[in-house]
Amino acid sequence: MATFHLQIVTPDRLVFDGQAERLVARTVGGDVCILAKHIDYAAPLGIGAAHIVDEDGKEHKAACSGGMLTVYGGEAILMATTFEWAEEIDLARAERAQQQAEEKLRKLSRDDREFVLASAKLKRAIARINAVE
Amino acid sequence: MAGASMKDIKLRIRSVESTMQITKAMQLVATSKLRRAKERMESSKPFGVLARQAISAAVARCEDAHIPYLTPRESKRRCYVIIAGERGLAGGYNSNVFKAVAAHSEGVEYCVLPIGRKAIDKYQHMGVQLLDDTQYRVEGANVGACFRMANLLVEGYDQQQFDEVWLVYTNFHTMMDQQVDVQQLLPVIRAELPEDATPVSTVYEEEPAETLRKVVPDYLAGRLYSAVCDSFASEVAMRRNAMDSATKNADAMISELRLRYNRARQGAITQEITEIVAGAEE
Repeated sequence: MATFHLQIVTPDRLVFDGQAERLVARTVGGDVCILAKHIDYAAPLGIGAAHIVDEDGKEHKAACSGGMLTVYGGEAILMATTFEWAEEIDLARAERAQQQAEEKLRKLSRDDREFVLASAKLKRAIARINAVE
Repeated sequence: MAGASMKDIKLRIRSVESTMQITKAMQLVATSKLRRAKERMESSKPFGVLARQAISAAVARCEDAHIPYLTPRESKRRCYVIIAGERGLAGGYNSNVFKAVAAHSEGVEYCVLPIGRKAIDKYQHMGVQLLDDTQYRVEGANVGACFRMANLLVEGYDQQQFDEVWLVYTNFHTMMDQQVDVQQLLPVIRAELPEDATPVSTVYEEEPAETLRKVVPDYLAGRLYSAVCDSFASEVAMRRNAMDSATKNADAMISELRLRYNRARQGAITQEITEIVAGAEE
């Protein structure tokens, strides 16, 4: 299958730089799949599981949050706040974070400033758990 | 007399020696920290480059006259993000940064967001308004803290607490060359973004302006993180160099003192012989 140049970057490292067959990531509008020769595209990213299929056809799962996905001249750049491969994720920690966030959310009212933070935390924890499973 | 000065010299030698031990130890610590600091700095670089490309691609097709965070407005007040060190004894590292801020902010009203204990102390002492009371650290700074700072800056900018955001940090060029750099963070300067050659129609998930509104804080956080990593590597490199020359100076001083000590000892012996000979002749 045709491949395209994909770069995945977070503030602290260049996570991936190479050819990929397919990239699936969650944007604010829902999951999108980028294949080779995609039209120019830009979207802010949401929080969710993502995966790529590399040039050997192997699928790599990950959890991804925040940032932006752009395709420009057939090259894709995914700049994310966090991007962790499934094998880097500490499942026990994510599950703990999920519980803590859920407890916090029960106590807070909807218009609390903390509510937004806690729900983002919950979403990230769920994304991580989904990426591993 | 010769004896007393011999004792003095011996004491000086001992004290210089113990100072040298300290500077040498600090140099070794800095050297070992430097490797990790440089690695961290290198891995923080790609984000800035790619983020600029991505943002410029998004901006290129933005048709609004007023692009959020990119269109300058009349500047009444600035906010300086100042990155200095946690400790002194790093040559001119801290004072260079403060000098650059003083020169750049002349005649302007400003508030600061200091990072690193030295910077926090300095601007608290000066009575300049601090944007946040959190004590941001340089060593072991994480991406999360940079995101908090970026959100704070964007919030302040949106509320018109200030109209420009400037970053003052120390850029790590090479091991021997680190320069203070003053850069504008907000509004993002268009010239910084690479020109795009072939504008084609782009599909946007959201309005371009809305996309930028979401992405610029991330971009700022990345810039801050990379600047913090750069500054820390510079601090460690400058401390290593300062301690290296201090150790060399101490070494030179000790050999000079040794020479004087030996001369004094020789003088004392000669005098004693002269006295004995003179006594025997009588």
